Amino acid sequence: MRTRAWAGCLGVLALVTAAGSAGAGQWRDGAELYQKVCGHCHEANVGPVLKGRSLPPEYIQRVVRMGNRAMPAFRPTEIDDATLADVARRISTGAVLARE
Amino acid sequence: MVSKSKALPKGVSAADFDKVVREIRAIVGDEHVLVDEDKLAPYRKIMMPVPDEQHELSASVMPDGVEQIQRIMKVANKYRVPVYPISTGKNLGYGSAAPVQRGQIVMDLRRMNRIIEVDPELCTALVEPGVTYQQLYDYLQEHKLPLWFSCPAPSAIAGPVGNMVDRGVGYTPYGEHFMFSCGMEVVLADGQVLRTGMGAMENSNTWQVFKWGYGPTLDGMFTQSNYGVVTKMGMWLMPAPPDFRPFCIQYPNEADITKIVEALRPLRIAMVIPNAVVIAHTLWEAPCTPVKRADYYTGPGAIPDEAVKKIQADHSIGAWNVYAGLYGTKETNDANWKIIEAVAAGTGGKIITQEASKGSQALQYRFDLMKGKPNLGEFGLYNWRGGGGSIWFAPVSQAKGAETLKQMQMAKTILAKYGFDYVGEFIVGWRDMHHVIDLLYDRSKPEEMEKAYACYDELLHTFAKEGYGMYRANTAFAEKVAATYGPVKRDVEKRLKKALDPNNIIAPGRCGISL
Repeated sequence: MRTRAWAGCLGVLALVTAAGSAGAGQWRDGAELYQKVCGHCHEANVGPVLKGRSLPPEYIQRVVRMGNRAMPAFRPTEIDDATLADVARRISTGAVLARE
Repeated sequence: MVSKSKALPKGVSAADFDKVVREIRAIVGDEHVLVDEDKLAPYRKIMMPVPDEQHELSASVMPDGVEQIQRIMKVANKYRVPVYPISTGKNLGYGSAAPVQRGQIVMDLRRMNRIIEVDPELCTALVEPGVTYQQLYDYLQEHKLPLWFSCPAPSAIAGPVGNMVDRGVGYTPYGEHFMFSCGMEVVLADGQVLRTGMGAMENSNTWQVFKWGYGPTLDGMFTQSNYGVVTKMGMWLMPAPPDFRPFCIQYPNEADITKIVEALRPLRIAMVIPNAVVIAHTLWEAPCTPVKRADYYTGPGAIPDEAVKKIQADHSIGAWNVYAGLYGTKETNDANWKIIEAVAAGTGGKIITQEASKGSQALQYRFDLMKGKPNLGEFGLYNWRGGGGSIWFAPVSQAKGAETLKQMQMAKTILAKYGFDYVGEFIVGWRDMHHVIDLLYDRSKPEEMEKAYACYDELLHTFAKEGYGMYRANTAFAEKVAATYGPVKRDVEKRLKKALDPNNIIAPGRCGISL
């Protein structure tokens, strides 16, 4: 019984996946970054809410790079300048941040 | 001229440093070497109770491949300039992305973020240092692969290579992370590329399935060390179980830790409970609930026991909160669940199931971590005292009740002496426990920095006198922690360093190893 149930989960997967270069540090846009990084704290009752406060984009960018108390700093290898500018603009102006 | 950089590597002249920067720029491209102070800011952010200047870097180089790292090693050897490799740089409270010694050039491997291979039949992955757990999770989801990994609490922004190399822990049955790694690729100081285990053999297809190879097994040498730059690592993935049943058992008294450990140890060793169980204290749970400390105590010093009791009552938090799970089929989990119920009833614990946990932020992030779903819920800890100060005091304990109670009381007494709260948990290995304490303090206050430093120092030496050693330590205390393990081990480490890295160019000082 046990064997069959486990096999049922994995039996269809007969391929070896060559994954190529996906992801981290290479964001589609600020919305994806917000969802995958920022939102883990700022939408989760851990860090302060950022949206709807008209925070200046320059301030947001600075805090991301410098860190602020418990807020970790993020390097350009993690978040490139263009995506950082985009997420800061979106947070500041209340643009769409969540993805479907 | 880049020589204005105020933190030059020890013994390296400004003129030579300029040459180093010029030569590594030629290797990786101008834009992938940073020397300006404002650009280096993210690397300087630390949570340890020492001045930023102590861990100031001179530059950052961001290679995107093994061949570039080999060439950087040549330059580093030529000018005797130390480089400090980081992966995701999110070893928060252990040193973050800053080098162990002032002036070192950080080698930031975050751009090397390829998931090279996932084998769904053998349940293995081969990844680069820049891959984050979130990235790997998304990859498995997108490809509909029912495979789980174990991750540490800062999982969304941290990654498997760095965590395994620092011998970190997580919360699934694969929670002892290094134990579930399989095969490394390492660039040595002389530029040679070593593949460990079966990877050393050309055309081998067993690199990610058999750890040992032939002759000495070398992988452990490249963890918590500075003998090479790990550029690839194999890891084992766990097939998602048909039935996953996470639960929490709460206990009302601090002294209950004795009977909890005695009751759980046999279940863990026999793998009835297969995962790395966590036994978390009230003050770990409270900030993640979240509870505000100021609502319960605003006086000087450590929070009093009465206030802690009130938090427990007000928020339905145990003095100890056991997190574990059953991973199997419905039939096996039904059978084992009866054992869990009997153990809880016999020890006075209150079970909280997944159903009953709905709406609890603290329980949800734990239940997610037990199935390797990345989140940052545990960062709630940092709101407890505020001010961004945190170092992990992390001694190893036997999985015996009396031992855990003794360690808890020792730690709580010393922390209180310096005005800090006991914010601790035990992570159960198989026969050991990682006793992890977050020494939280306000880093914006110099007097708290001093106290936190002195407190860690006293904790370290008091525990060492009792024969308790650290499983892992922050970079500011690397030398002192290494010293607690005695002279012979250190001498062997030094001889190895001399043999593998005679110019002392890879992270000298890391884990106390240097020439």
